[in-house]
Amino acid sequence: MSTLAGHAVAPGKPLAANPGVLQRMWSSRADYLYVLPAIVVMLIVIAYPIYYTIELSFFKTPPGLQLRDKIFVGADNYTAIISSDVFWRVTLNTVIWTFASTLIAFVLGYGAALALHRDFAGRAVLRAILIIPWVISAVAASYIWKWIYHSDFGIVGAVLVQLGIVDRQPNFIDNVHTVLPSLIVVNIWREFPFAMIMVMAGLQTVPEQLLRAAKVDGASAWQRFWHVTFPHLRSVSTVTILLLAVANFNSFIIPWIMTGGGPSNASHIWITHIYELAFGRQRWGVAAAYSVLLFVILMVLGYFYVRALSGNEKREQGA
Amino acid sequence: MTTISETSVPRSRKRVDGWRWTGRIFLALMLLYTAVPMVWMLLTSIKSGFAAMQFPPQWWPSEPTFASYQKLLDPQNSVGQDFLRFFWNSLFVSVCTTILAVAVAVPAAYAFSRFHFPGRRFLFFAVLLRNMFPAVIFLVPLFILMRLLGLVNTHGSLILTYLTFGLPLAIWLLKGFYDNIPIQLEQAARIDGATRFQAFLLIVTPLSVPGIIATAIYSFIGAWNEYIYAATFLTKNEQLTLPVGIQRFFSENTTDFPGLMAASFMMSVPVVVLFLILQKYFVRALTEGAVKH
Repeated sequence: MSTLAGHAVAPGKPLAANPGVLQRMWSSRADYLYVLPAIVVMLIVIAYPIYYTIELSFFKTPPGLQLRDKIFVGADNYTAIISSDVFWRVTLNTVIWTFASTLIAFVLGYGAALALHRDFAGRAVLRAILIIPWVISAVAASYIWKWIYHSDFGIVGAVLVQLGIVDRQPNFIDNVHTVLPSLIVVNIWREFPFAMIMVMAGLQTVPEQLLRAAKVDGASAWQRFWHVTFPHLRSVSTVTILLLAVANFNSFIIPWIMTGGGPSNASHIWITHIYELAFGRQRWGVAAAYSVLLFVILMVLGYFYVRALSGNEKREQGA
Repeated sequence: MTTISETSVPRSRKRVDGWRWTGRIFLALMLLYTAVPMVWMLLTSIKSGFAAMQFPPQWWPSEPTFASYQKLLDPQNSVGQDFLRFFWNSLFVSVCTTILAVAVAVPAAYAFSRFHFPGRRFLFFAVLLRNMFPAVIFLVPLFILMRLLGLVNTHGSLILTYLTFGLPLAIWLLKGFYDNIPIQLEQAARIDGATRFQAFLLIVTPLSVPGIIATAIYSFIGAWNEYIYAATFLTKNEQLTLPVGIQRFFSENTTDFPGLMAASFMMSVPVVVLFLILQKYFVRALTEGAVKH
């Protein structure tokens, strides 16, 4: 609906394919000036790094050598990655981390948004409190939770001991079995508010008349949700889940600060692993090859991302 | 804060509504999950180091003390000196990033909203795609680029980098805002003899102030909390920003948990306060930018 305004400028001309693209580009040359600063910054800081990473992934930098003394090794870095055990371990961790964090954060945020949609005393305060974890820096959050999980003085362990559930303080983040779930809890703590804000914003677009009409027709609360609210929230939900998935796939700070990937790689995810390879072990070539593989995966995710977003655009323009 | 309550449905309160109780219990649990870590941070920060290290823990500090805060805020003390310097560095970098991000995002978002130049959609999605790539990929090449530009170990390297990762969402949010401002306003101004740029500057920009505020909050919080680039680009102690500074400091003093919690709290105060004051703009920008259909 909002692009109606845009159509008023270029009154509904179907985009003619080839004839005069250059001409049209020339005639709207002033328009590019508005976008130019953004594009220039992007090109410098994005295009160059991508090119550089792809190039570096075919080289080896033996320890002790400067980065510029690299040796061409063809696809060796890639075969080294695929054939290593750590790769599969880290990939499994990344999949668990991304899926669990995204799904649970989204469900919790969605639920909180629905529960907060109804007016009650103290709602604004409650909403503000629930949003705070998203605003706090991930570094601060990591330290707070590290203290909560502390193996001697952590509050979670202490409560469990006091309630008689366990006999001694569990060591959440030094245990290969509990470390990943423990970190996922921290990640969800920081991320569910984002899902909540997005769904809250989406709820404002659900037409009230429709809900009221459904109520008059005798629809139960559940039916009103399932047949009116839920379908209206579908596009915002898709965008939210994609944004969360990308953010989780790319997370770094929480695992890095809390465990550094340990114990024995149990909490290494792709990004922390790449960082360690590059900056810890100076294996720049392998790290670059990892990054290129990451590009490929992100491109696939990106395809869905753009499709979900342009789906929104098309619906807008059809409206 | 009232944007949502205005639109919510008045419902009859007579029946005992199972869904409502489910909602309340769910919210209570979420409040517990959200607030317990923050409350524990605050309680720990006002304990002495000895009191924090007890088992079972002191649920409520028996002898509350603000010693940790005094230490952090005392410019005579070496800890306080560092902390205040990191705080100032973070503030400087975040404010510069915010100003530049708004200056670059406003014209770009306006163009994406109003003009129909060829390649507009392609460029728009290219900008959004930037959001998808993790910082780690860009670290090495950007480090080399910063060396070429002579920006290593300067705050300029951080500002330039933060600018790019904040831009995509900023442009996206603002575009939604411009989409919702009626074009007739500008057309009227043009008829009255204003140039297109004047119409943009004098008519549209004032109307988009809420969107600009939302963009500014987003950029500020992103820059304030950023860790990985700051950890890589800056090596001199006096230039560190808070997240890196705190990490470096407490990797040396691993047992000072009250100090660590106090520092975490102080670090969170500016962004939390800023966000709570301005959150209605942010939620509104998301509604108009990201969510509308």
